[in-house]
Amino acid sequence: MSSVLQGQSEDIKPQCITLCIDSQLEDTVLVAMAVRGVCGMTSLTAEEINRVELCVVEVVNNAIEHAYQGRPNETVEVDVMLNPTRSLEIVVRDCGTPMSKPLSADAEMSVPDPTNPETWLSSGRGIPIVERLMDEIRYESCEDGNAFHMIRQLG
Amino acid sequence: MGYSNRQEADKTVVEIDEARLDASQATPFRDYMTDLISQGQRDLVLDLSQVDFMDSSGLGAIVGALKELNGDGSIQLAGPQKSVNDLFDLTCMDKIFTIHSSVNDALSGGIQ
Repeated sequence: MSSVLQGQSEDIKPQCITLCIDSQLEDTVLVAMAVRGVCGMTSLTAEEINRVELCVVEVVNNAIEHAYQGRPNETVEVDVMLNPTRSLEIVVRDCGTPMSKPLSADAEMSVPDPTNPETWLSSGRGIPIVERLMDEIRYESCEDGNAFHMIRQLG
Repeated sequence: MGYSNRQEADKTVVEIDEARLDASQATPFRDYMTDLISQGQRDLVLDLSQVDFMDSSGLGAIVGALKELNGDGSIQLAGPQKSVNDLFDLTCMDKIFTIHSSVNDALSGGIQ
């Protein structure tokens, strides 16, 4: 019986939704709310859904602020691929300037020293947060644009 | 919607009447805090109870305001929801800020 169930779950086809927003920070919330809705279909807890939302927001904002340098009227595309028994994959695509550093160079979370204000950084935490919270991240850049992949295992 | 402040004892309580303190709100929030600090308000309590989402830019705006005090004053946080608390914990910024369960606790010195 268990092998039948396992076989059935393996047959579940991944589902995908693609979202497009204009490159303005006010619109990131639209992606955030849509991703929360998809996450609600999974076994993720409320805290885990909050964390997925945070990661998506950080990467979309990164595309707007860095790839497009804050220019509006560009497109940020977000693919959300759900295999309910296995994983949630979110891909944030832009056609702006690629990230200059490899992800590993940005991934270290700096720990502030309460006695040293020089260590109280007011920026640069977005990608380290994503690295910390997602099971896998990957960044690809080619002539057609850039793609930031985030994968969260389920179940 | 937006920000407001009031004097409570010797502190300035800043109420954030926004559900999201994110990148789109970071600049107006930072400007509001800069105005308060330049007016001489140096012991601030941020009422975060209405904020259900904060990203690294919102966090950065709060850190920027703290640095603006340049050691002469304080920013205490009050009433953060779970997701906001989680962000401070993840980024270890809970080492920098004193976090209270409510504004009343902040004013009376209680810690979450």
